[in-house]
Amino acid sequence: MPTWFAKQVAPTNENSFSAAPELAETPLANSSAPRSRRTIYAPILPSDAPMSALGGIRIRAQLLSHGKIVLMVDRPVLDGFSYWCASQAEAARWSPLASALFEGGGVESVQIHEANVTITLDGTVQEPDDSAARRFGQAIRKHLESGLPAMADAFLACVPSEEEIREGLQAVIDDKVNPSIAGHSGNITLTAVKGNTAYIKMGGGCQGCSSSSLTLRDGVEQAFRAAVPLLGALLDETDHAAGDNPYFTELPAGSGA
Amino acid sequence: MPRLDMLQLKIKMGERGLGRNPRYAINGLELDFDEIKGGSGPHETLELTGRPKKFPRSMTLIGPDEGCWDIEEIVATYQVTTGVYNEGGAGPYTLRLGAVTLDAETKLNLWYERPPQLLEV
Repeated sequence: MPTWFAKQVAPTNENSFSAAPELAETPLANSSAPRSRRTIYAPILPSDAPMSALGGIRIRAQLLSHGKIVLMVDRPVLDGFSYWCASQAEAARWSPLASALFEGGGVESVQIHEANVTITLDGTVQEPDDSAARRFGQAIRKHLESGLPAMADAFLACVPSEEEIREGLQAVIDDKVNPSIAGHSGNITLTAVKGNTAYIKMGGGCQGCSSSSLTLRDGVEQAFRAAVPLLGALLDETDHAAGDNPYFTELPAGSGA
Repeated sequence: MPRLDMLQLKIKMGERGLGRNPRYAINGLELDFDEIKGGSGPHETLELTGRPKKFPRSMTLIGPDEGCWDIEEIVATYQVTTGVYNEGGAGPYTLRLGAVTLDAETKLNLWYERPPQLLEV
């Protein structure tokens, strides 16, 4: 391999905190010898945008792709447990808050986890917009101001124990999920269950794969929810930026430049 | 993966300035800024513009060759093109970075993708 090419393609560690030497840091702008440097991070300062004083409860919304809206409340909405549901009938049984969010229509699923409420819009809505976010924000604020709990009392009595959830999910991983993604050299590990919230990590070909979110949403999550009733939030703790063998990689940097 | 078309930095210097023109690195490749205005002495303000037109996995501001460089604040403005349809938003975005000190062993992370838009509702 030519020396100039080796220098261009050599890996770097700029996103890590380690002090390993960087082969690719070739100074073209001056003639000094290459120097190994550690990357440090400055604090990110808040923008100068004024704080809103809507009501006494501050709610911020983030519009995401795939029809998702995350509403972040300035206080816990559901402590210790989480809740996910995909039908108004189920929401009416377990969660007055989720039921209120389904009322306006156009909602596919609702997830409540700590101070965050995540709404996934159904296919009748093209993409989330500001007005939808405001509608859900108002519904959450109204519910919190009413003093009613997010969940019905019966919910906590019916949630499976952490051990039951762990066993149920591990069986799905061993019997269905990992065998089906092994063809892509991928694997999924259940890292923790807290309350009824499950934490997973994706490894092998799934780590850094640009289709990993689809695998999680359309494959893993559906299988988990079918096996474990009242499973709450399913959170992916994978550091996808650190994946060194993703099955489906994005276009290489510089292509098309 | 967004392509960085232009980077503008407005750097407020602290007690110790930088004794040379600043440089930055994208994906480990060191580059000079295309435009440099202002001064790099103590408490001066330096305005830098780079037009890399590259797809950064990493981008850093290189520390001094010797001694220390105190930065009080950086206002970083990024102009990027995202994907075929520029779905990430066509306008520039700006971040404010707080105080930091660089030396001969360090470089400052400068690469931040467009922060999510938060809406008060």
